[in-house]
Amino acid sequence: MTRVPLLDATSAPLTARRYFSDGDPGPIVAALASVPELLEVTLPFLSTVLSASALDARTKEIVIVRTSALQECRYCIDAHSVVALDTGLTVDEVRTLSGAGPASLPDADEAALLDWIDAVAGATGAVPDSVASRLGTAYRDFEIVELTLLIGATMMLNRFCTALSLPTSAAVATRLAEEGLA
Amino acid sequence: MTAIAEAVEAGTLPGRVWMYSNYHCNLACSYCLTESAPGVTRRQLTSERMVDIGRDAANLGFTAIGVTGGEPFLLPDMAHTLAQLGSILPTVGLTNGTLFTGRRLDAAQEMAGSDVALQISLDSADPDVNDDARGPDNFAKVVAAIPALVERGVTVRIATTGEEPDPAALTRLCALHRDLGVPDEDHVVRPIIARGRAADAGMGVEVTEADLPAELTITADGAFWSPFGPTVVAGQLDTDLMLTRTTKPLRVPAQTLLGLLQGRPAGTDSTLNIR
Repeated sequence: MTRVPLLDATSAPLTARRYFSDGDPGPIVAALASVPELLEVTLPFLSTVLSASALDARTKEIVIVRTSALQECRYCIDAHSVVALDTGLTVDEVRTLSGAGPASLPDADEAALLDWIDAVAGATGAVPDSVASRLGTAYRDFEIVELTLLIGATMMLNRFCTALSLPTSAAVATRLAEEGLA
Repeated sequence: MTAIAEAVEAGTLPGRVWMYSNYHCNLACSYCLTESAPGVTRRQLTSERMVDIGRDAANLGFTAIGVTGGEPFLLPDMAHTLAQLGSILPTVGLTNGTLFTGRRLDAAQEMAGSDVALQISLDSADPDVNDDARGPDNFAKVVAAIPALVERGVTVRIATTGEEPDPAALTRLCALHRDLGVPDEDHVVRPIIARGRAADAGMGVEVTEADLPAELTITADGAFWSPFGPTVVAGQLDTDLMLTRTTKPLRVPAQTLLGLLQGRPAGTDSTLNIR
């Protein structure tokens, strides 16, 4: 059960109303709306970090789903498994990324990325030089900056959604069941 | 001059900042916006916090203060708090007027001669009509308190809240408040707003923010568009007219309110006489 009120179009504060004008904006917005001044800055930040950017959409969804799996965030795994499928990842790719065990992808660059995600989101303390070095051969410096911030932003969301027990929507649950990912 | 001060001077932003000192009350009026009653969650601002807000309001360029509740005079030292606020900006304190006996009446003397007015609720010159909405013996306590306060030099205004007033009843009420020492210019008549307990009872006029004066209102739960914003239904605080949870520094909600006011279409606050 969700641990905080999820506001709707009738209860959303004045400055949060625009996020509800096109229907249900989802539980993250509905929870954040209780502190509208935080919503005002958090949502544009998350939107910038998580949506289309210099990194291709496939790479970003690999980061988000894998990070969410390492953080065991049910809401984020479910929501972004669907986004990943829509982005073009296969069911098998989503299954390995979202699973509790080690993930693997055949592409060398993506394998280096998975090692980086594991070191950043699946561990604490310093990231080994060997992992950084492999990532550096696959991605440019500015891409590494963005990838790392994406991991961090995803972790923030993971803990927010998990701690507050935000619910997976019925539509997402249905889609995952249809894809054999439930 | 701050942007807030400029907006107040230009009339873009109302000059009064309201504070909800508390939400509990010794009464449980039928149309109460905040479902106030003796046992409700207090949502209380300390005296020190209220004076801080008053100073911040003055520094930003606001020109007046209002204190409401709940019943503010259930808090100890409310007369002293209002007197302090009155030394910062002209202040009006809303009260049901039923507690001014004994020590509280003596303490009220501190407000005499200061820039503080008490706005006391009195809905009818007919005790039964008044007490039907506001509780047993309310009329008797209020008509005893008003002259006692006036006699001690405290400025008293009267607020009448109700459905469409009957002209004859209003005439009798005005005769009464004049007898009690309150002139016509210190009597306000306002509608019941369909929020809080009034909405539950199907009473009052429906409003949106466009209908309400955009008077910055500070509570223990955050800042709101208007004193008609931080209402309570079924024990839950309404958030639809919230501006920010942040109230300190005061410029945070003040600037948010000012931003919302830019380009705001004309509302019906004047025609509805919501004050």
